Amino acid sequence: MIGADLRPTDAVERVVGTLPFVLDKKVEGMVHAAVVRSTFPHARIVDIDTEAALQVEGVLTVLTGADLAAESSIDPYFGGARKDQPILAIGKVRYVGDPVALVVAEDKGQAEEAASLVYCEYDELPFVESIEDAMVEGAPAVHDDYPDNACGWGKLRWGDVEQGFDEADLIAEGEYMTPAASHVPMEPFVTIAEWKGNKVEVWTAAQAPHSVRRTLASIFGLEQEDVRVQVLNLGGGYGAKGQTKIEPMAAVAARAVGRPVRLELTREGVFFTIGKHAARIRIKTGVKRDGSLVARLVDVAWNAGAYAVVSPRAVIQGMARAPGPYRIPNVWVDSRAYYTNTVPTGPFRGAMTTQVAWAYESQMDEIANQLGMDPLEVRRRNLLREGDLHPTGQPMHDVHFVELIEDAAAGIEWGDTSDVDLPPNKVRGKGLGVIMKSTVTPSRSEARIELRDDGSVVAYTSSVEMGQGAATTLLQILSHHLGIGTDSIRFVHPDTDVTPFDLTTSSSRTTFSMGAALEEASVELKHELTDLASSLLEASPADLVHEDGGISVVGQPGTRLEYLEILRRSKIEQLDAEGVFQSEGGLDPETGQGVHTIHWHQGAAGVEVEVDLDTGKVEILRCHGTSWAGRVVNPLRARQQNEGNVVWGTGLALFEELVFDEGQMVNPNLSEYLIPSILDMPRQITTREMESSEPDAELHGIGEMVIPALPPAVGNAVYAATGVRIVDLPITAERVLRGVMARRDQS
Amino acid sequence: MTDLAAVEVRVNGQPQQLEVRGSETLIETLRERLGVTSVRGTCGIGICGTCTVLVDGKIVSGCLTLSAGLDGSEIVTSEGLVEDGRLSRVQQAFVDAGAYQCSFCIPGFVLAVHERLSRDARPSMEEMRHQLAGNLCRCGTYPEILDAVAALIGTADEEETT
Repeated sequence: MIGADLRPTDAVERVVGTLPFVLDKKVEGMVHAAVVRSTFPHARIVDIDTEAALQVEGVLTVLTGADLAAESSIDPYFGGARKDQPILAIGKVRYVGDPVALVVAEDKGQAEEAASLVYCEYDELPFVESIEDAMVEGAPAVHDDYPDNACGWGKLRWGDVEQGFDEADLIAEGEYMTPAASHVPMEPFVTIAEWKGNKVEVWTAAQAPHSVRRTLASIFGLEQEDVRVQVLNLGGGYGAKGQTKIEPMAAVAARAVGRPVRLELTREGVFFTIGKHAARIRIKTGVKRDGSLVARLVDVAWNAGAYAVVSPRAVIQGMARAPGPYRIPNVWVDSRAYYTNTVPTGPFRGAMTTQVAWAYESQMDEIANQLGMDPLEVRRRNLLREGDLHPTGQPMHDVHFVELIEDAAAGIEWGDTSDVDLPPNKVRGKGLGVIMKSTVTPSRSEARIELRDDGSVVAYTSSVEMGQGAATTLLQILSHHLGIGTDSIRFVHPDTDVTPFDLTTSSSRTTFSMGAALEEASVELKHELTDLASSLLEASPADLVHEDGGISVVGQPGTRLEYLEILRRSKIEQLDAEGVFQSEGGLDPETGQGVHTIHWHQGAAGVEVEVDLDTGKVEILRCHGTSWAGRVVNPLRARQQNEGNVVWGTGLALFEELVFDEGQMVNPNLSEYLIPSILDMPRQITTREMESSEPDAELHGIGEMVIPALPPAVGNAVYAATGVRIVDLPITAERVLRGVMARRDQS
Repeated sequence: MTDLAAVEVRVNGQPQQLEVRGSETLIETLRERLGVTSVRGTCGIGICGTCTVLVDGKIVSGCLTLSAGLDGSEIVTSEGLVEDGRLSRVQQAFVDAGAYQCSFCIPGFVLAVHERLSRDARPSMEEMRHQLAGNLCRCGTYPEILDAVAALIGTADEEETT
């Protein structure tokens, strides 16, 4: 079943539109909540006047942070890495969009109308918007507990960089900027919370149901068993729906009114909930004349926004990925996040990698240019090979960077410089990028499977189907290991009352991690069946073989018993088995030495662009995206991951940017925050999901490996076409045109 | 509740007599009153196409259309393209091409393709790309959507002559 083009069982519902989302869920007696948000980036709350709102017909209550702070039975703060985020602002607001009050009413219109009538009086405070604002001595503190706005620091120390720079023939040095961005899942955040006695039940569009459960248990002082979190299909996640987001608001509202409460955010509310870290990357690299890299110093500053979410952990990931997929004997990385008075940030498809790859892959072409070498060749010469040590000290295994970059180059006919007839204002160029990305380690995934005496199997996992195809992929993996057809296997949606622990559906970890848990559960189930069959057939377990849902004595096909017969004859209605995947690792906080990832995710991109010299407009003519899959479980879904990466990366390369001015988010809507349409995608997209020749090769996640390679590939192609080096993403027409004009002025 | 308007419409072939608020959008009427879930709100300002609806055969954004003005209209959503349990040929083409990821936006694309092919059996691929420029897919399923469109255009003239 691994490798088959299996279509999801719900393909028709997906196309017709009857696929169930939490958005569609209705619970008997439910009422609706609306959020009142801060209009100031940083201010003390003087007073919140709820009188007018309470007069609106249908309004049941208006909650504020002060109400929550006065409630001794709840802890109103939460957060994945630091408990610094109040459910509703307490004492002060920290960004424009910070929730300050929650209105609950019989219907949604009433709640929204009343929300507009909540009057907040603020005492404005000085605020910090950019990384530079936040890091200066004496900057306003976003959190009193962190007076220097520090929100995590990753340190990687490998070799002796000063000595490395001394040995270098050439030093390349630069500063690169990548902006804040918004995930824009088409389905908004939506949660329904209902209290049943002292137990709270939540339906929510979330990527990590068990994390939501733990957070709610902590807020309300409950046992985890007293919190039930259920998830349906997600209308996109991309990292936005990781951790805990709006569930605490829905849960406190439901507790306050004693009825089920549904909270669906407006699009502006989605923009105000989570964004992508803007980053400033300073990178200095020492190179020998033959092109070999001898030292690299990287200083990454991440804009964490107003609350930590997972930034203190994420900076460690960004740190380990910052040197890039190259052999460099001397490496020094500082990766620091800073609180600012802007929207909180979190992992964003291609997380903590797109930012650093923009820097190191742009600089790689500058190095090639200075040496007069082919950009492909300078990469090939330095890419990490099997057995090399990563700067964390971890030996590399199953690495294929050279194959990937060569494939990316071949995909756009890299060496082919044959002339094309172009109008005098148009020029073309080609560019490459290659990246490495770790997957969250340590991590844990558990799976439980039930074999029933009708021969069917029910699989329980907390992996979330969000369009990436997890449901189908895991079905194929389980079918493969059990030897039972996919038609006889059913997966249930995550429900923390019945589906066991899984850390999260993110970090491109599910196919590998939950796949491993399902494999272990399959082995366990087969072992149990062997024991039963051994009694029934009066044969030694060692003489029994499993094949296609049955067991027979080796060499005696006539003895075959189907699994369902084994259960029935053993008078067992149902046989259960569990499997666990657990990875171990961790880095020394002072040196970054240790085990950072169970394996490395790898991707590359090649692009050809056409630039209009009169307008600066860049068009991507073709893009080849390639990533290391090890083995492809489902060819269509795998290809769609890489194609989707190309589309996503196109937006980041050319136009996506969340803009802030005076602390205000300028473009929290889809009219002014652009995501790629069908007309924006490269004219020609090709992909490769690279496989090993080994039949049991390790499965690798491929959800986000082309994205980080794409913006620098475009930047390098623009440079090849025009001689203009863009260092600030996105590569807008204005930036390119300014560069083109500056070059004209020089010549 | 003061400003209720009585409207008679047909939704996916079924006559509906409704009393709607003056400010009520078509998306609210379809989702909240009639349980039509293929029409989904995303941007709220007529940009993204996830709430695409056919009103008298023309594409509208459900988030920008007030239901009170629709008296006498024929309203069709993706569910309404299914006849006797059989998918429309546009829907079948999407299924065959695997043109879905998270699938939140797909019904809107189906209607946009359907609308164009209803008035023009043989549009060019370039015309179809422009037809679909008002529908956004964040997963980036555009290549398979275009595969489905290419398959449909390839078969359009056969359908036309039968």
